[in-house]
Amino acid sequence: MEESGGCGLSLICLTASSGVPLYSRSRGGIGRQLPFSVIGSLNGVHMFGNNLDVLLTATSTENTRVVWKSFHDSINLIVMSSEVDSSDLYLNRLLDNVFHAMVLVVGLEELVNIKNVERLKKDLRACYRLIDSFLTVSEKSGDLTQCVDCVVPYDGPILQECLDAFTHAAESNFGCLMAAGRVVVATEKWWRLAAQEVMLLAWLVASLALNSSRDYPVYLPHGSPTVPHRLLTFQLVPGVDVCVLCGPTPSLQKVETELVERYWRPLQDPVKACLRVQLRSFPASFPLHQGILGLLLINREQKKGVYTVQAQQAEDKQQGVSLSLEQRRAALRAFYTLAVSQYFPSEQGDEKKGKAASKLE
Amino acid sequence: MKSDAPPIWTWKSRLRDAVLILALYLGEVGFCLSYKLYTARDCLNLGRLCVAERRGSGVMAAFLMPGSVIITDWHRSSEGKEFLSSIVRKNKRKFFGLIERPVLPPQVAADTACYKIFVSGKSSVGKTAMVAKLAGLEVPVVHHETTGIQTTTVYWPVKLRDTERAVIFKLQFWDCGEATLKKFDHILPACKEKADAILFLFSFTDRSSFDDLPNQISRVAEESEHIVKIVIGTKFDQYMHADVTERDLAEFQRTWRLPLLRMKSVNGPRLSDGQTLDGRAGLADVSHVLNGLAEHLWHQDQLMAGLVVPAIQAPKEDSLYL
Repeated sequence: MEESGGCGLSLICLTASSGVPLYSRSRGGIGRQLPFSVIGSLNGVHMFGNNLDVLLTATSTENTRVVWKSFHDSINLIVMSSEVDSSDLYLNRLLDNVFHAMVLVVGLEELVNIKNVERLKKDLRACYRLIDSFLTVSEKSGDLTQCVDCVVPYDGPILQECLDAFTHAAESNFGCLMAAGRVVVATEKWWRLAAQEVMLLAWLVASLALNSSRDYPVYLPHGSPTVPHRLLTFQLVPGVDVCVLCGPTPSLQKVETELVERYWRPLQDPVKACLRVQLRSFPASFPLHQGILGLLLINREQKKGVYTVQAQQAEDKQQGVSLSLEQRRAALRAFYTLAVSQYFPSEQGDEKKGKAASKLE
Repeated sequence: MKSDAPPIWTWKSRLRDAVLILALYLGEVGFCLSYKLYTARDCLNLGRLCVAERRGSGVMAAFLMPGSVIITDWHRSSEGKEFLSSIVRKNKRKFFGLIERPVLPPQVAADTACYKIFVSGKSSVGKTAMVAKLAGLEVPVVHHETTGIQTTTVYWPVKLRDTERAVIFKLQFWDCGEATLKKFDHILPACKEKADAILFLFSFTDRSSFDDLPNQISRVAEESEHIVKIVIGTKFDQYMHADVTERDLAEFQRTWRLPLLRMKSVNGPRLSDGQTLDGRAGLADVSHVLNGLAEHLWHQDQLMAGLVVPAIQAPKEDSLYL
């Protein structure tokens, strides 16, 4: 396992029945391909246990943590991490996110009843960008908390009202306004989707290449894993998309030409303002103690969170700041992991209300 | 307009057309020169291919001469540069959201003409790459099939030749993956709904994509008589590995009588930061495609409005003149 020593984090996906590798990704994009023998032995040891009714979930070598997870007896995911802050909680959630990202894009049916491995391999390429976004160090916390990151906009009520009307006009109940992968406002129904779905949709839109609009088939991993819905996205300004989840109608053309301009053009300024709060996640007018460098606030009931490591506006003027943004991210994520795995052991999505704010320095 | 052609097809008009076509051929020499200026860098590389290009463009000229509707080198004039600055800022292409517009200086004004363009072609010919290149975005390095439909808006200012009016073309490209097209019934109708043009793509490095063109055209373009149809050969940068010859192209054009454009879908030079794509260099690579598109779209509009007679665009019966 020394091969993966310097690599950081590697992810392998195989079919459970035959052990055929479907893809492998590593932190930093394409990266180094793991030797087939390593992949084979990692899968072999898991399969060996399986045959003896022993479930192998995780192991550690001197510097690497390995976690296995099997989904629907059809897909096996293996992750190896040599990073210090990779907890079991994070690695397990990573694998869970990755599998559900695959469901979101190609559908559960194709993953459970694999008829043509080569075809599946080709189809799975469409998830690479989304999966890679989970592997890169991000400014969001949704991958760890499985609650979508939100921004608190300047003109929330106006945006909310417009979104509700726009979504209704597009013959849907599911609408969401996103800025760089974070939810600005969403309709009531959107919040009733499973927490992971809300998070995955936000990450999906953020991971796709720059486009004016899209008509993207999605399989909601929890609500509708076999029947696809249409996710319509419209880029209002670069970085801000409005999304609608709908059935066979209306057409992309219709919504784009008849509704987008009409509803959103008058709101150009509030929409652009969403980008200004992006790094801080909430308006500058919000009072905050000087000592707080970053915070993570989670509402477990509504399954959403606010996360930032740049809580102070005029911060670069303070010379004494010693923690880099990476260190802050690591500290905050470690604190969350510790809190959830030590003090909220029922963390599988059903603790009543967890509030984790970290006061650094 | 085409259906009106036969009754007025008298000897007089034949004579007129013959003169016109002769004039077009004479004009071709001039066109070739300007075309070469455009692709001067290609010519350096291509050498022998350029000779063939002259022959190829002769056929193309029978449809719509590049530069007959718009002024092709206008972007290099000071006025053109002023317009270009609305889509290129600090040598970087600007990308506009759906509720944004290019902002022009107050003293210049221009109308915007919107067009929907459906990009069709076999899997992996480079539809997404072409659209990215036209928009000045990063051309994807690794290929994967496009999921669903994705649209990209490209603004392109041009100067009309007859009225000397500047018009901003808002070209919206509709791109979808071949697998998606087959899997979901709503995709093809959605792409064709109110489309103004269909681009048929083939790859210079994939012979089968070229052979598939007739199939594509008859499948996708049925009942779309008044839509602009243009064939685009992608991956022209890999001419060393070209699987399609100029002779094939000439023959294809004789049969199908569709305008043909060539496209290099690779990332151009980058700015000094080594990251951002050079906006102006990128535009220089694709301006002939954008101009060609704008020209055909505008001409088609004029035809539909009855403002021009379809003399330049040779009707099918015309083949005996060539």
